[in-house]
Amino acid sequence: MIECCPYPPYEGNEKRGIMEEALETGRPILETRCITKQFPRVLANDEISILLNKGEILSILGENGAGKSTLMNILYGLYRPTSGEIILKGKEISFSSPRDAIRAGLGMVHQHFMLVETLTVTENIILGSEPSKGGVIDYQLAKKQVLEISELYGLHVDPDEKIENLSVGLQQRVEILKALYRHAEILILDEPTAVLTPQEVEELFRVIRALRDKGVSIIIITHKLEEVMAISERVYILRRGKLSGEGDIKDLTKEELANMMVGRDVVLRVDKKGNGKKKEAVFFIEDLSVLKKGGNALLDSVKLDVSPGEIVGIAGVDGNGQSELSQAVMGLVKIDKGSIRLNGKEISTLSTRERIDEGISFVPSDRQRDGLVLEMSISDNIIIGRHDRKPFVRSAGRINHREIRKYAEKLAVDFDIRTPSVSVSAASLSGGNQQKVILAREFSRSPVFLLLNQPTRGLDVGAIEYIHSRIMEMKQKGAAILLVSLELEEIFALSDRILVIYEGQIVRELKTNETTDYEVGLYMTGGRKKGSLNDGK
Amino acid sequence: MTGNKTGTKVRSEREHMKKALDLISVLLLAAGAVYYLGGSFSGLAALSSGAALYLFNIYYFQGKEKTLSAVKKYLSRLIVPLIGIAAAVVSGAVIMLLTGYDPIESYTALFYGGFVKNWYVAVLNATPLIFTGLSIAFAFKAGLFNIGAEGQYYIGAMAGAWLGFKLELPPLIAIILVYAAGSFLASLWNFIPALLKVKTGAHEVITTMMFAHIARYLSPIFIRAFGGDPATSTHPYVTWELPESSWLLSFKSFIPDANYRLHTGILIAVAAAFFVSYVLENTKTGFEIKAVGFNKEAARVQGISVGKNIFIAMMFAGALAGMAGITQVLGLDHKLFENLQAGYGWNGISVALLASNNPVGVIFTSLLWGALDAGGQYMARTTHTPNSIVEIIKGIMLFLIVAKYIYIYAARLIKKKKGGGSV
Amino acid sequence: MSFLMFLNTDLLVATVRLSTPITLAALGATVCERAGVVNIAMEGIMIIGAFFAAVTAFYTGNPWLGLASGVLAGGIYSLIHAAAAISLHLDHVVSGAVLNILAFGITRYLMVLFFGHPGTSDAIPSFLGDYQFAVPLLSKIPVLGPVFFNQTPIIYISFILVIFLAWFLKHTRTGLHIRAAGEHPLALETIGVSVYKIKYLAVFISGLASGLAGAYLSIENNVSFTEGMTNGKGFIALAAMISGGWSAAGSFLSALFFGFADALQIRFQVFRIFHVPEELFIIFPYAATIIAVAGFVRRSRPPKADGVDFIIEKENE
Repeated sequence: MIECCPYPPYEGNEKRGIMEEALETGRPILETRCITKQFPRVLANDEISILLNKGEILSILGENGAGKSTLMNILYGLYRPTSGEIILKGKEISFSSPRDAIRAGLGMVHQHFMLVETLTVTENIILGSEPSKGGVIDYQLAKKQVLEISELYGLHVDPDEKIENLSVGLQQRVEILKALYRHAEILILDEPTAVLTPQEVEELFRVIRALRDKGVSIIIITHKLEEVMAISERVYILRRGKLSGEGDIKDLTKEELANMMVGRDVVLRVDKKGNGKKKEAVFFIEDLSVLKKGGNALLDSVKLDVSPGEIVGIAGVDGNGQSELSQAVMGLVKIDKGSIRLNGKEISTLSTRERIDEGISFVPSDRQRDGLVLEMSISDNIIIGRHDRKPFVRSAGRINHREIRKYAEKLAVDFDIRTPSVSVSAASLSGGNQQKVILAREFSRSPVFLLLNQPTRGLDVGAIEYIHSRIMEMKQKGAAILLVSLELEEIFALSDRILVIYEGQIVRELKTNETTDYEVGLYMTGGRKKGSLNDGK
Repeated sequence: MTGNKTGTKVRSEREHMKKALDLISVLLLAAGAVYYLGGSFSGLAALSSGAALYLFNIYYFQGKEKTLSAVKKYLSRLIVPLIGIAAAVVSGAVIMLLTGYDPIESYTALFYGGFVKNWYVAVLNATPLIFTGLSIAFAFKAGLFNIGAEGQYYIGAMAGAWLGFKLELPPLIAIILVYAAGSFLASLWNFIPALLKVKTGAHEVITTMMFAHIARYLSPIFIRAFGGDPATSTHPYVTWELPESSWLLSFKSFIPDANYRLHTGILIAVAAAFFVSYVLENTKTGFEIKAVGFNKEAARVQGISVGKNIFIAMMFAGALAGMAGITQVLGLDHKLFENLQAGYGWNGISVALLASNNPVGVIFTSLLWGALDAGGQYMARTTHTPNSIVEIIKGIMLFLIVAKYIYIYAARLIKKKKGGGSV
Repeated sequence: MSFLMFLNTDLLVATVRLSTPITLAALGATVCERAGVVNIAMEGIMIIGAFFAAVTAFYTGNPWLGLASGVLAGGIYSLIHAAAAISLHLDHVVSGAVLNILAFGITRYLMVLFFGHPGTSDAIPSFLGDYQFAVPLLSKIPVLGPVFFNQTPIIYISFILVIFLAWFLKHTRTGLHIRAAGEHPLALETIGVSVYKIKYLAVFISGLASGLAGAYLSIENNVSFTEGMTNGKGFIALAAMISGGWSAAGSFLSALFFGFADALQIRFQVFRIFHVPEELFIIFPYAATIIAVAGFVRRSRPPKADGVDFIIEKENE
């Protein structure tokens, strides 16, 4: 069975000794040997052998699509490997479902939380392992157990609160509790910091270390170098389904890691040239409020402006009004108060259609839900919104298929959309290419104002670099750009000014080159709410 | 230089010839279809020669590969339906055997009756079905389920009868006006469901269904109020016969040996199918309807009004279902019966689903359904097998064709078996 | 001569009787949709249940056996919906519509097979309506007593089911799993509970309940089976569940409202208090249903993953 050697001789592997050393110390708890996973079209994992020691914090680093999640899903029993072995505490095992993995002491905190929002914390934690008698749940006991565990690990959370009322950080805590409740000895965290503020990240790291001290072994899956450097003791690097490196953190530099992850040197710094003198602003929002049905404000007296050739970043924790802000700008929600002006014209009373005509382009955060009609062709997706305009339509509302095709083919080249034909459905494209379709549509309209909501969500480094360069190109062309992003790195890389949004208010305005991510993080959590802009409730 | 010019000239001559041949094949197909639907089997010859010419055209001007790919394209669309039909026929035979009927005798009668002997009944059955099927298919394209097409059918029938009486106009004008006004009234029957869908999100499955039940009970009131025949003042109520100016042309007037009941409503239905297909594929309205149907959110972000398109789809669907009722009254019955419960609205769901909501496909599935019903009646008359076995066969057929995943599973199973040895 | 004279106890008794099939089907639908499976096949399942209850009661002479077979037939028939919607990933609404069509075909065929003619079956020798009994003490309560505590068996079962299912969803493991399956199925799957199994179970429960509703129509409220006797009640039940906010108690209250509309309609028809065509009365409950789903009372939202296809192993695609 084993043709592949347990410790594959990848190129330039000088650090092989570490593995052997680790083995000799006799503490390995989990090991994979030559795990291979073949999907119909891709080889997601190619002979991956890793080793986890008891009580250590291990990172698995790689880009989106490098095969990290596949590997973890194999470990967790969601997928079965095409070949290879998993050895847990010295015994070979095979999981046919997550239930087996849980029973064997594995716990997983997914990137997209596996929590039922309408249920309480307790219900979520006990789900699937309920203390019960004859099928009837003993809620008293359940609550007691939950409190005990959260006491033991110092993870406090109200057991009776519904998940939908908790912050993201607390939801993640519930996820960790869920694993601990099932007596997890090995905890896998999938991109755990993706949605957290720097402060919440620190808190998470504290929790992770505390867990390690209690004997839990931890695997962190991530694409963030800083995180690997900050928390883990050892790291494996995956690239295109293969193990491309490993080592002790203390022996590695950030640059080395980046190189092993991407296969070349990456500079995630965009050149912000052409900043020049600030021009007169063209886009204004004043006193904009959107109320929830109950009455509390989703957006509370927001005020901002954007000049041509300027990128303004909106930083904030997810769910603090970012989506309402973009919806309000696009006319997709009813606003309760305030004005939005473009080129001196009030647009808040216009329809979405008319706003687009005024020169607004919008890249929504959820490309599959809001950005594309997946079932329609690439060419239809490129012209949608202008499908009733010349030259795409002849008189009497007849569609001109030939013009559409010609135009789409040109843009597919311009925007490097990789597809055999523009007449295949948008669903058949990869995430990066789908995003390029949206970019092609929105950027080719030569917008005066460009609203970007998480333009690189879930994409790999190559696609991110490409999209960032196109955004800078639009800036150079003189578009006024508002960038909403949950990734502080992206905000810092692209924007000239940063506005921090918290609970529907713009709580602070900062110059990018005069602030730090730590400071922005503080404002993002309302930590240093200043009375200057909006006085609290 | 000159060589180049003659080259273009030759090419344009070829183009002209191709166009001419294409036109001939379309004309052959059209004429064949008219005659075949008129009950004359000579139409079949014209149909097949038209199809042959069409293929020959592709072969001659575009080569063998294009021809093969064209044939493949049509066959691949047919394969799942054909397997479904075959499987349903087999299941029907098993059921007949289990319940003590002779499947060979029954099927002989069923197919002979439906597709040969009483083919005109099949066409008559199919006519309203095409309209209701189109109605449901069109709404489906917008992501809506017009499950209550039956109700719009009643309204169309009532409006047709009423206007047929009231409009004392020359024949053609009367018919056009009845269709226009009647389908408008039927589309209004979907106004409240559309409004509620847009304003409060009330599900159209419930609202149109309830409106269908309401429409059903309105017909006796209507008949008594407008032109009820006093001789039949008890159930079931019937209206007077409509003036002949509002009757649809019968096939008999130009195909002498056609059945006297067979009317040209089927041609209107077929034309409607091609019209709906054109609207969906080639107009901006169709584009918007499909975008809304696939993904409301993305359509909204692009400034396409979801509400407007839901209205258009629901109203147009109502109008189409209404035309089924109008056609039935003007073409076949020439009067309105209270007992309208022919179920064309419900069966419209089946034919639309069978055709995967493809408007042109609806023509064929409606004819199939119509033939099965016609054959079922013939079978019940000539053998001991009850008519209702057809309902079961239809249900199984529908299930096997709609649940496409069955074939994915089957393909996977076959693959596994084949691949089992090598792995 | 006031029309208030109809607002008496009899009207309320009739309300309960007419609402029972709606209550039962709506309860089933509640469980089904809480697990994330949309079920518009109740109409068809009811007619299957009604038919098999009547046939069994007719041939055995025992209405209790009829009851059991009606419930079971409904359950079995609903499994086709489960298979189609869950395993075959067919759109739930489409699957339901197909099953409604198929159910009418099956019952028509079997009518001929068992009774030799379509339409209405022969009368069953003994029906559950004979087993009306008054609960001691409780039936003595004025108004409420005769309305709720002097009824026939399936009506009592429906009361018990309302309470049981409300408790079941809240307090049992299976109930919790059902609620989770309808909101976030992947969360359930990733902690090792089979979402498919839970969904199958929920659909089966709804099939049993709709089968019971059908049995009520043919062997308790009636003495024979008639084709099409459900007359849209399956869809009204769907409306009752929606306006009842996807909860057992809410479904019951909404069903009572629809039953009341129906009872009122019959009174109006019988006493001809308004001089309008009788059909205008018949359409009253249908109109009431439209008004109810129009969302004049809209507090709750459907389960998040209601009607959403769930595919576990994408890798096999």
